[in-house]
Amino acid sequence: MSPLLVVDRLAVDYRANGRTVRALDGADLEVAAGETVGIVGESGSGKSTLGAAIGRLLPRTARVDGGVIRVAGESLFELAPADLRRVRRERLGFVFQDPIASLDPTMRVGRQLTLVLGRGTGSGDVAAHLDRVKLDARTARSYPHELSGGMAQRVAIAMAMAGEPELLVADEPTAALDSQVREEVLDVVFSLAATTGTGIIWLSHDLAAVARRCSRVAVMYGGRVVEQGPAAEVLGRPAHPYTAALAGSAPATAARGTRLEPVPGRPPMLTGPSDGCSFAPRCAFVIDRCAHERPPAVRVGDQDVLCHRAGEPATIGQGATT
Amino acid sequence: MRLALWWSGRALSSAATLLGVSILIFAAVRMMPGGFAETILGPFATPEQKAELAARYGLDQPVFMQYWHWLTAVAGGDLGTSMISREPVSLELLARLPVTAELTILSVAAAILLGVPLGVLTAVRARPDGGAAVGRLLSGLGVSVPEFVLGSLAVFLFSRYALGLSVGGYVPVTVDPAANLRSMVLPAAVLSIFAISATARTTRDAVLGVLVEPYVTAAVARGESPWFIITRHILRNAAAPVVTLTATITAYLLGGALVVEYVFNLPGIGSYVVQAVGRRDYAVVQAGVLLAAAVFIVMNVLVDLMVGTLDPRLGVTAKGRRA
Repeated sequence: MSPLLVVDRLAVDYRANGRTVRALDGADLEVAAGETVGIVGESGSGKSTLGAAIGRLLPRTARVDGGVIRVAGESLFELAPADLRRVRRERLGFVFQDPIASLDPTMRVGRQLTLVLGRGTGSGDVAAHLDRVKLDARTARSYPHELSGGMAQRVAIAMAMAGEPELLVADEPTAALDSQVREEVLDVVFSLAATTGTGIIWLSHDLAAVARRCSRVAVMYGGRVVEQGPAAEVLGRPAHPYTAALAGSAPATAARGTRLEPVPGRPPMLTGPSDGCSFAPRCAFVIDRCAHERPPAVRVGDQDVLCHRAGEPATIGQGATT
Repeated sequence: MRLALWWSGRALSSAATLLGVSILIFAAVRMMPGGFAETILGPFATPEQKAELAARYGLDQPVFMQYWHWLTAVAGGDLGTSMISREPVSLELLARLPVTAELTILSVAAAILLGVPLGVLTAVRARPDGGAAVGRLLSGLGVSVPEFVLGSLAVFLFSRYALGLSVGGYVPVTVDPAANLRSMVLPAAVLSIFAISATARTTRDAVLGVLVEPYVTAAVARGESPWFIITRHILRNAAAPVVTLTATITAYLLGGALVVEYVFNLPGIGSYVVQAVGRRDYAVVQAGVLLAAAVFIVMNVLVDLMVGTLDPRLGVTAKGRRA
């Protein structure tokens, strides 16, 4: 069976004021039906661009410079507008970072849900959909600005999940919420998706949080997915030096008393295709090849890794502290 | 309760504004060189004649006394009598209202019916290419070419080549609706060029602002069609600046489209007041300006009410958001 989502060597540039910034530099990703995948990376790693590209929701300044995305076998960038809308409607769902801003400020919540659910929706249906995200039926009478961030995000989740999509893309859905509400909202998303069989792509910068809830994790760096595999493996036995550094710098996984190791250096700002490995300037295990040869995907254990030195004992296992 | 408070506040501030306008215009009219007596009696009048005329109209009293008399009369609904025609100003204004109102309605209707779709279309279709530049140039021209240029051009073209629309000469609707429309189309068109361009521009900017809002992206992500997104989400959210502009244009035109009424020889409020300025017909000028100010104030209240209805966050009765 072919996977639900295939992203193959996707490259995306942003152009503004005569400058070109490369956000995706040949990103690969596969998600099977019902699978929960966390995509982790720093700001600027390209994860939001990847998330938007999956719905062909890239801003006007973006240009696809190669690669394909297939949703249930259909090539997204070749679809006619009506077919694209059908794919979005029937197969995909999106939840965004700013919950209140992603609801229409001029419309009551119930009316917005009714519009999503289609004609002939009664208030009972609206109440049922609100109940699925643990919201009171009275919420329907509120305007978005009268809701808390957590409530607004539940409404957005209810709207995104109303059509029972096959894949839900959530771009840092809890970034704007405080930590208490964060877990509740994530509980709602994951339990609702489990009952409808919806797969999840959760974009986050928190490796440990993602690994706790997702079955698989993909780590992005410099516009590429540098490592992907089962969550426990990626977190516990990182095969890419960047993942190792990330795992070492995540406060939640650090043992009490150990010193947190930040990833030394700064993330890259690409203006075109990278010549070699874009992590090379920050990498503790860099060799000559890294600068001028793009690393191919290598299988290490259960992970797919983009690293010339992947699998060498010198890097793996000791990688958690660079 | 909150609404009552809002209304009384608006009434108070409106009254204060009108009072200020009335003082300003009263003073301005009397500061114009060459008084009423000189205009009426001509340059060879004797001082005795002038004094006699001034006394008859109370112009020999101190200015603040004159103002007080006028103000109390206006408060009682009496706008005064034209010193030239000796007719009540209110009747004369009322007789000219249909012309000005028709011009206003035609122009504003054109602005909304053409300007809004044009603005939405150019915003939604906006791409960094030649089309957008041409659109900006055209709307820029429409906003900046003066009415007397467009009006004179239209008068010339349509009278020189007999293009089928009458230039000048007003026919009341009640006399002949078809002829009325023929006489009004050109002046309304000249006025609406500005209104359409301004409306299209404002709409375009407002829609461009809404297009980048996350809730529009969210609607696109749900697979909604462009038409659905425009009608359900974009129009209402982009409406506030367009409503404000339309109201301003309406108020401006209701106060009298001076130039166009003059160029096309239409007996509207604008040409009436301008004529009165030339003749130093104080009562008419004061009434005309006061009327225009009142129209602006009423329009502003309407705008506040409408914008509040459009966006619950800005409403006059919005909970807790506004003091």
